[in-house]
Amino acid sequence: MKSFTLFNPKSLGDAVGALAAPTSSVKVLAGGQDLLTEMKEHLVEPDKLVNLKGVPGLDRIEFTAAGACTIGALVTVGALEEHAGVRERLRVLAEAAGSVGSPQIRSVGTVGGNLCQRPRCWYYRSEHAKCLKKGGDECFSFSGQNKYNAILGGGPSYIVHPSDLAPALVALGATVTLKCSTGERQVALERFFTLPGEGDIRRETVLRDDEVLTHVHVPAPAAGMQSTYVKFRERGSYDFALASVALALWRDGARVKEARVVLGGVAPIPWRAKAAEAALAGAAFEAATFARAADGAVQGAEGFGQNDYKIPLTKGLVQRALQSCG
Amino acid sequence: MSTNEPTGAPLAPNQDPKAQEKPRKTRKIKTTKDVNGVPQEIEIEVEDVDGPRWGERKDLKVLNTELRRVDGPVKVTGRARYTHDVRLPGMVYARLLCCPYPSAEVTIDVQDALKLPGVEAAIVLETKTRFLGQPIAVVAGRTSDHADDALRALKVTYKPLPWAVDRAQALAEGAPNVRKNGNKGKPGQNGDRAEAEAAIAAAPAKLEATYSVPVQHHASLETHGVVIDYRGGEEATVYISTQWTFAAVGQVAELLGLKANQVTAIVEHMGGGFGSKFDLGSEGAVACRVAKELKKPVHLMLRRPDEFVMAGNRSGNRVTYKAGMNADGTLAGLVANAEKFGGLGDGSMARPPYVYSAGKTYSEVVAVYTNTDSNRAMRAPGHPQASFGMEAVLDELAYQLGLDLLEVRKANLKDKVWHRQLERVAKEIGWFEHPHRTKPGPNSGGKELGIGFGISTWGGGGSGGTECDVQLAKDGSVTVSVGTQDLGTGSRTLVTAIVAEEFGLQLGDVVARIGNSRLPSATGSGGSTTTGSLSPAVKDAAWNARNAFAEHLAPILKTEAALVRFAGGKVFSQANPNAAMTWKQACATLRDAGLNAHGKWDKDRAAALMGNGVHGAQAAKVEVDTLTGRVRVLEMVGIQDCGLPINRTAVRSQLNGGMVQSLSYALFEERVIDPVLGLALNANFEDYKLAGPSEIPKMTSIIDDDDQRSATIGMAEPAIVPGHSAIANAVHNACGARVRDLPLTPDKVLAALGRIA
Repeated sequence: MKSFTLFNPKSLGDAVGALAAPTSSVKVLAGGQDLLTEMKEHLVEPDKLVNLKGVPGLDRIEFTAAGACTIGALVTVGALEEHAGVRERLRVLAEAAGSVGSPQIRSVGTVGGNLCQRPRCWYYRSEHAKCLKKGGDECFSFSGQNKYNAILGGGPSYIVHPSDLAPALVALGATVTLKCSTGERQVALERFFTLPGEGDIRRETVLRDDEVLTHVHVPAPAAGMQSTYVKFRERGSYDFALASVALALWRDGARVKEARVVLGGVAPIPWRAKAAEAALAGAAFEAATFARAADGAVQGAEGFGQNDYKIPLTKGLVQRALQSCG
Repeated sequence: MSTNEPTGAPLAPNQDPKAQEKPRKTRKIKTTKDVNGVPQEIEIEVEDVDGPRWGERKDLKVLNTELRRVDGPVKVTGRARYTHDVRLPGMVYARLLCCPYPSAEVTIDVQDALKLPGVEAAIVLETKTRFLGQPIAVVAGRTSDHADDALRALKVTYKPLPWAVDRAQALAEGAPNVRKNGNKGKPGQNGDRAEAEAAIAAAPAKLEATYSVPVQHHASLETHGVVIDYRGGEEATVYISTQWTFAAVGQVAELLGLKANQVTAIVEHMGGGFGSKFDLGSEGAVACRVAKELKKPVHLMLRRPDEFVMAGNRSGNRVTYKAGMNADGTLAGLVANAEKFGGLGDGSMARPPYVYSAGKTYSEVVAVYTNTDSNRAMRAPGHPQASFGMEAVLDELAYQLGLDLLEVRKANLKDKVWHRQLERVAKEIGWFEHPHRTKPGPNSGGKELGIGFGISTWGGGGSGGTECDVQLAKDGSVTVSVGTQDLGTGSRTLVTAIVAEEFGLQLGDVVARIGNSRLPSATGSGGSTTTGSLSPAVKDAAWNARNAFAEHLAPILKTEAALVRFAGGKVFSQANPNAAMTWKQACATLRDAGLNAHGKWDKDRAAALMGNGVHGAQAAKVEVDTLTGRVRVLEMVGIQDCGLPINRTAVRSQLNGGMVQSLSYALFEERVIDPVLGLALNANFEDYKLAGPSEIPKMTSIIDDDDQRSATIGMAEPAIVPGHSAIANAVHNACGARVRDLPLTPDKVLAALGRIA
């Protein structure tokens, strides 16, 4: 890893101040679970790290009386998983947190870092593959080893977003606070992530270099929400999703009132499966509906060889997620 | 010992009955015994043996029991010093630069690296490479950070040359020559093809199918590497992660320009080898070169990504089987055309048909070469590869005929040991209550349970070259010394246990000194020969020590040496068990230098102590989610014979480890290289997936105690042979998804279930 200076700001103001006019490459360090591996593999070689760990007030989970929840960016994934209120009221989020990495990673990795993490694509992670994400002119996965790549929303890059928290938080309608030295903005998490065809292909989010993601806000869910996160990974621990489903569901007796279905591991962003949601809304809560929702979830999905299996896999997961709410 | 090829194992071993058939000779000794205070002349019958024997199992107090490994505490507390942990004054850290391409012309400018502070060496090793990961430069720095910086400061230009990294590329028209004579080795042929084809054609059930297994990695938790302690002058010490302590001595001596008696090799603790660590290796040779140049100790341990590409692998294969089965389940004939993928090496594949009788057979096995590192021996070389297709063929044909999978196996196995073993694992795993014994379960959209079987064989045995010292000190402490290495398999405990047993002591009363070339010599640990090579030598030394101590004690105990007994920490005459001395009291009678005895592996004496030829069977139970393709292994049962188990816990640990490693092979492990870019894509423990704690099923490991041979046999290898075959068969059994290509990842399971549009 290339040597760097470590700046330990004691306030958020100092932290964003250090990002305001970067004279050399600067990166924000939280848990370091993604950044440090990128640095070790020479994918990024910052001269300076701004360490948020000393910034007070970013490590709390707070619920309002009405049930809205604010999560500081430095809350560890493990703390989120174990928080009683989150487990009770935002089950999909607790389950997603519990499925991240391994206990060691969860105890250090943060919520903010999880949302801002970079792709796991083999080609992106290989220093010698000059892929689109690294300023090259080709996405090697398209004709290469693409077992883990996107079936939805891909092109010209076919990475998948690796976060487990993101699909859960999108399903919950979360927003994030992005702060810079001159102010802050609120962005719906669904708008936070960008498709490769939409913006800077080297980024996965709208976060600017002079900004820090400071908080995640989850609105109070409407009464009666059932939710779950179903993650399919090859290995039972320390593995990213081949596909995952974050499901939030409201029922009225035997019918579905409303549903949010967000897919992970299959698209460059957490993928809101609106056709699945439409298939569920107002329909009977039964196997035939689940099958229609599964079909809807993969509407427009396209494999290009080794990732074809993700289509039936995702359909299967949507059905398993719905069944588990039965 | 070759690092590429297995020590040959017989495919259908017969249990060697010699050891137990030797007639038991006895002689009578006249002595006096106090009976009600009156000395009386009596005769005592004692065993009259011409050498050491393990004795009756019922009499054993330490051997054949469940022993905790003696180095467990230092390992779990982190105090055990592995090669990686060695730190010496003035030591430099060396790092290799490995070529990221399978073949390239390389130019390297080292000047910038040499100018960096803390950098002590930067040397070009190679300018034209022929395998992915070939070391092309080495740097050394005062700290590992300095070395890393030096590595980055090397100015390297790669001019890629044409390569072949997979089968398609190697066999394509106009492919570059990977080896001088082309990309295929000389085929090994056996049997009469026409005869076998005719037998298959006449059989009521027939099958032709291609099965393949990927290139797997040893994935030892300790990477390859050495610390060379050489500062000029006439002495050097090499700390090395090796399976053969003594091999390193001569190799290091030659490279440093020293004599063998000026070099010491030390292998205090070792983090696994699985067959990949017999040599000093190219990394060790490079470390010697740097040490010679700098006259400073050099620490060179491979980094994990380098370990994945340059430290060997288990060869993959692709086998097309044609087979026919008779109505009674016996195989009528089998033709196997196999290709082995061992990179620049020849690969390994036990000759088909694996273990089973298959009627008229013909096989052709050929190596296909690629620009990747040469395969090395890996736990049961060639056997897991050969097992996979063979066990699948049996199941596929049995289903065609509606036959019971267990009965079909028995019908093709002459040796009844496998019959009892298969029945045992079948019973343990619930086969007789299982609903799908003659046809697979349904592709239901739900979760289905399946069971599969596999069997194994191996040779074992041992060979000469191991010697051992046993020392009894005046204070009662006991030391056993032999230069052998403990790969994590428990050989340190084995050595300790044999001596403790001999003197009626407990494990904790004996200290083993191993892993040092200044100690009595020992053979390398490969082919499950460690137990058969080591245990007779240690037993011989212990037996000699006991006899010498008995001679010494006889006049003190007023008895004959043949009547001196060591049991329960006491020493007494068989004629007067009540007049016992404690072990400490007995040792206190020794002269100041204590008592030293020597023993060795002697062909005739070892023949009564070690054996050869083992059998094993395993069963796996899986759950397949037929909607998502998820495979969960719920349960594995393994049984293994091994003659006399020295440490039952260690034997079961081998079985458990074999089952876990084969589960990982079945579900996850596979080397992935992009054929166009030539880059290794999963050379790390994130992307090269090993089974973790979440994958470990309920495991039952059974020592086959019906094997009553009074002989020790190593059994590391057979435990890994059949597990992946059993798992793949269980997936087929659960829901009809026959995956003929490992690993059994969900993409393949879903394809086999017909769920991919």
